[in-house]
Amino acid sequence: MSSRRKFADAVRTAVTWLSTSISVFVLAAIFVFVFSRGWKTLNWEILTSDYHPKNIMANVVDGEPGQFARPDDLPADAVFSERYGFALTDAVDHQKEKQMVLTYIADDSPLTAAVNAASGPTRGDPITITEDVQIQRIDYMSIERGRKSPAGFMGSQQTAAETIERLEADGESLIGFYYQSAGGGMMGSLLATLMLIGLTLAIALPLGVSAAVYLHELAPKNRVTAILRSLIEMLSGVPSIVFGLMGMTLLFSVTALFGITTQSILLGAMTLAVILFPVIIRQTEEALLVVPDGLRMASLSLGSSRTQMIFRVILPNAVPGILTATLLSISRVIGESAALIYTMGVAINDKPEIGRGGTTLAVQIWTVMTGEQPNFELATAISIVILIIVLILNVSVKLVSARLNRKWRT
Amino acid sequence: MQDTTAFLAADPAGNIFEVADLDVYYDKFQALKKVTIDIPANEVTAFIGPSGCGKSTLLRCFNRMNDLIEGCRIDGTIRMEGTDIYDRQTDVVKLRTEVGMVFQAPNPFPMSIFDNVAYGLRCQGIRDMKILRRVVEESLKKAALWEEAKDHLHRNALKLSGGQQQRLCIARAIALEPKVILMDEPTSALDPIATAHIEDLIEDLKKQYTIIIVTHSMSQAARISDKTAFFLLGDLVEVGETSEVFHVPRDTRTEDYISGKFG
Repeated sequence: MSSRRKFADAVRTAVTWLSTSISVFVLAAIFVFVFSRGWKTLNWEILTSDYHPKNIMANVVDGEPGQFARPDDLPADAVFSERYGFALTDAVDHQKEKQMVLTYIADDSPLTAAVNAASGPTRGDPITITEDVQIQRIDYMSIERGRKSPAGFMGSQQTAAETIERLEADGESLIGFYYQSAGGGMMGSLLATLMLIGLTLAIALPLGVSAAVYLHELAPKNRVTAILRSLIEMLSGVPSIVFGLMGMTLLFSVTALFGITTQSILLGAMTLAVILFPVIIRQTEEALLVVPDGLRMASLSLGSSRTQMIFRVILPNAVPGILTATLLSISRVIGESAALIYTMGVAINDKPEIGRGGTTLAVQIWTVMTGEQPNFELATAISIVILIIVLILNVSVKLVSARLNRKWRT
Repeated sequence: MQDTTAFLAADPAGNIFEVADLDVYYDKFQALKKVTIDIPANEVTAFIGPSGCGKSTLLRCFNRMNDLIEGCRIDGTIRMEGTDIYDRQTDVVKLRTEVGMVFQAPNPFPMSIFDNVAYGLRCQGIRDMKILRRVVEESLKKAALWEEAKDHLHRNALKLSGGQQQRLCIARAIALEPKVILMDEPTSALDPIATAHIEDLIEDLKKQYTIIIVTHSMSQAARISDKTAFFLLGDLVEVGETSEVFHVPRDTRTEDYISGKFG
């Protein structure tokens, strides 16, 4: 080889090498970034708790002070009340607001025996306060003023230290308290995502598989079928936000038939089902293509009808392909956001229902990032959850399609 | 083109198929040209000829498998026991239960041996396990596979050897009690021992069934068939008793093919 050719070869090789490195590097960077920002926030608590904090007002049964010793393992930034046996720590919540978190409570602290003070049917029910809740206000009998007074944010105190100092100095006894559960969780979105996956598949799979069976097994092989097929393929190129608009206007009237007049998970599922049709039809057709023609011939030569052939021989042998289609569809549902903003709304719903709006994990990211105080930590924590789910799904797809390919080689 | 009258007279059992002036086209290509042939019942008829001569096309006409091929057009008549099978009234599904088929490559369904043999009956709505068990056993016995398979009826059929798979395909066809079994080069994918098995089997089966076999092997045709038909480029060149076709061919083209001058 001439040196000129050697040089050209080296340059071309270097370009391919560089391109590969760049893409791998960018991917790795995204992973490192997401994991480093979100890993600390991610825990079991955040997976299983509500996003919206719950407000609870309680009356203390016996608010007389006692003598409590500060536990040794209490962190230095926790402020301890020796007369009432609990500790508060300054913190910032998921909406970036200042909070006082109850970091310690003694077993016989006056706060442990309390009843619900909110009006309603549950008034008077016992309330168990746990650590990690956000204390908003503590009502106490003031020595100075001789009447009930508030301490905490709803008093005039701005820090844990000020609040505790006030109670220690002026508190004759405790009367009640008002607190918020921590919030900032993703349970609601997780449930909504699962419901959306289930509903979407329930709509899209039977329709998509049937359509694929028609196109591949029953339709005459002519121009019309070819045009139908390319139209369906074209659908996969339409941006999902357009499908969102379609869902909002067209499919909305369908959900209205079920008496649902708001954005809802059902509407989101129907819209996503439309988005998934091309994916499922394509994957299923590919699975049908793998089934050897010899089996079709054999079935028909044994006096089966075409539908018997499809249901007894073709579809059972296409199951791995249909499974691949299902897994890909699930990934798509998890990753979708644009179409859902119009059809399911952007309000995080801790108790999702089919007939109500809600957010999936992906849309929750959008919601927590568009508030006045973007919550990067929560957003990246959710991203990690999504990445892990998608990773598991991708590995499953690989395993399933490996099985599919192996099946006919025996 | 050929004289079938002598052939008819020699066969008192009658003909199961009577083909008259059959033209078959694949789009514009004419695969069979004015073929007229009678297939005698309860005998083995072999179709021989070089590749592309139309012998498999004719075979697939008997159970109307050509219907599945896009662009295939058929003129002329094929009568089965007097009824035109290409009539509009014909129930193709029923025809295929009466005319079974065994293909070139063994194509068992990827299910158990039992389910393979029971497939045709189940498609007809027979669910009674007593009947199914009896038919499966009988069919496997007739196909000389029972001794090898009886202990693993519920094993996947794809685990069988090629020869066993082909016998399973024969058993599967027999299970429907057909009148005719069409065989499209049934041994071309098999080794000599498996081939010998299948040939023995054909010898047994011809007592009960009419067998039409397409084969590339002239020695096979000579060994197992009673009648032989020689096709060339869509024409039926000659048909007659196998011994006559092989020893005293009337047409020089048959002689050339059999003696290996082309093929």
